[in-house]
Amino acid sequence: MSSEQGDSDRYFTASGIPLRGWYGPEDVPSPAREAGAGSPGVPPYVRGAYPGMYRTKPWRVFQLSGHGNPEDERERILFLLSQGETGFIMEHDRNTADHLYNVDHPEVVARREDVGQTGAVIQSVRDYETILDGIDIGHYYAHPGGAVVQHAPFALGCYWTVARRRGLDLSRLSGTGQSDFFLTYLGCIPKRQIPTEAGIRLNTDIIEFCGRYLPRWVPVSIAAYNAADTGLNAYQELAALFANAAVYLDEINRRTPENLTRLAYMVGGINLRVGMDFFEDICKMRAARKMWVELLRRRYGITDPRATRLRIHIVTAGSALAYQQPLNNIARGTIMAMASVLGGTQSLGVATYDEAMSIPSEHAHQMSLRIQQIIHHETNIPAVADPLGGSHYVEALTAELEARAWEVFEEIESRGGFAAVLDEGWLHDLAAGNQLDLADAVNRGDRKMVGVNAFVEDVTPWEMTGFEPVEGVWDQSMERLRLVRRERDGRAAATALRDLETACRGDANIMPAVMEAVAAQATLGEFGDVFSEVFGDWKVPISF
Amino acid sequence: MEGADLILNVDQPGKVLFAKTALDGHWRGPAVVVHVLRDAGFEVIYLGMATADEIAAAAVQEDVDLVGLNVGGSLAVVMRILDKLDVSAPDVGVMLGGTIQPQHRSALEARGVSTFPPGSMFSDIVEQARRLVEARRGSKRDVTSA
Repeated sequence: MSSEQGDSDRYFTASGIPLRGWYGPEDVPSPAREAGAGSPGVPPYVRGAYPGMYRTKPWRVFQLSGHGNPEDERERILFLLSQGETGFIMEHDRNTADHLYNVDHPEVVARREDVGQTGAVIQSVRDYETILDGIDIGHYYAHPGGAVVQHAPFALGCYWTVARRRGLDLSRLSGTGQSDFFLTYLGCIPKRQIPTEAGIRLNTDIIEFCGRYLPRWVPVSIAAYNAADTGLNAYQELAALFANAAVYLDEINRRTPENLTRLAYMVGGINLRVGMDFFEDICKMRAARKMWVELLRRRYGITDPRATRLRIHIVTAGSALAYQQPLNNIARGTIMAMASVLGGTQSLGVATYDEAMSIPSEHAHQMSLRIQQIIHHETNIPAVADPLGGSHYVEALTAELEARAWEVFEEIESRGGFAAVLDEGWLHDLAAGNQLDLADAVNRGDRKMVGVNAFVEDVTPWEMTGFEPVEGVWDQSMERLRLVRRERDGRAAATALRDLETACRGDANIMPAVMEAVAAQATLGEFGDVFSEVFGDWKVPISF
Repeated sequence: MEGADLILNVDQPGKVLFAKTALDGHWRGPAVVVHVLRDAGFEVIYLGMATADEIAAAAVQEDVDLVGLNVGGSLAVVMRILDKLDVSAPDVGVMLGGTIQPQHRSALEARGVSTFPPGSMFSDIVEQARRLVEARRGSKRDVTSA
């Protein structure tokens, strides 16, 4: 429209989309106008995944947690549940879980004091038994860890084995895996890791296994959060998300096309990042739901409204939080949580105010719950679905993000698809470029961050300290590892690991063999050695 | 160290070894800092996730002026690295960034290590790197001329 709407060359969204001073009906492309005039709970779901939205189904309060020994992780989970968390997440120690190392691996021994600082140390199903002792897993929705692709079979296998031992029916168990490519193939690359092709196979095995035995489980929650927090912008994040989903669906289609619609429903539980660009991220969630409908229809001919309903978990951006004046992060968390709810999330984790300095303290965790509870109970925001729908600005930006995301999606396809853009480092370059631009802008002061490059004086009445997990975790983890090795039936464990290796070398689904190995108390490091032996190592495409 | 090498290096701002202390592969922060240092003319060798022994060995072998550490774990692991460097490369300066707990900063500063938490300004990082390189070369000149 006319210039009276203001310059579009001075104001941009976080992903660089130019913004007008105000928006009118002419700015909304007509298909977007139609989609925005629809109802929540019906395709294309722009206005929300469910008809009643939060009146019938409040979002799940779902915080990342875990540190120290299994007992410490259990204690924190119980604390969060007692404070109003409605599902729970088990975070694993990076030093061991990412690389599939036991604590006696030389790489871990060399840094033994780090163990337990970024999650709980979990090396066998026994540790799962300890963490879950007294927690009603038949009742709660859980993410039992396994955010890392190569770690997921072990983590899920452990959780499901505990459920079985308690006599629970797996088909009634609800929760989510993650096995996310963006975490360890893009943002946080471990010392050793199976190649992408093997990872896609493992994830598809998990999806099929869940399709058969755990219909209420989200097998692999594609975590576009990790792509975005590594640097991809809003529409690149959407493109990468759906390029990843397409890889699973293509593989399912190749294996068992008759299951495609049912399994597409299971793949449609995903996660996104909400950062500080309030409206862009709200629109991103609306665009994501529409794109999922389009992807399933165009690429696979799927129109079943159950399958095409995308369910979203949001994690608010850790990288948007500041080290300086950390209490400001409570305001940032609140703003990002509000955007998540206005965008219609099904589940929410708010990064804690001490994010930039340590893993969460109990109090920081509690604040993240309180932010969600205040929005839920005090603001009346959840009373009405998609309250911003129909806004000229919101509908125009939703359409623009979708259009740009499809362009990047097509580019990924033309470069050989999802695995290729990871293997060749194309996504890494994209993320790195954005990271540098953002860091530069903050440094020059072009992009203000309160307390960091503007309003830097701080009169806070107390000194904030980071959370320090318990000490001696490595020694205690070593002791548990020795006990497992001594007390388990060594022959049964060895046989189960050989069977796992055979399954990995063959074409059949590996998950039954994983469950056997877990039940035989095979350890994390032993899983890693089998995977490493069979699949080899991914060639990291980036160097500095 | 041969005097000739020193002369060849004199016009360069310095040689930096950059490593991650924890078994945590997040590379977003390190990538930015490495870029900033190279932009300022430093030669940067990126070691990635490395142990205290690996860092100390590389610092000697590469004859670096400065070690940059990205940390994300316990103070003890960082202290072990500093102990090793004190023995094998005592004249090499150390700078440290990442998720540094505020309560650990004074202990690190007491060891002569400058700390750069998230949000640190590039100019401060570059300036401190120059200062540390200059300090090392100054001491080397003293040794060479002695």
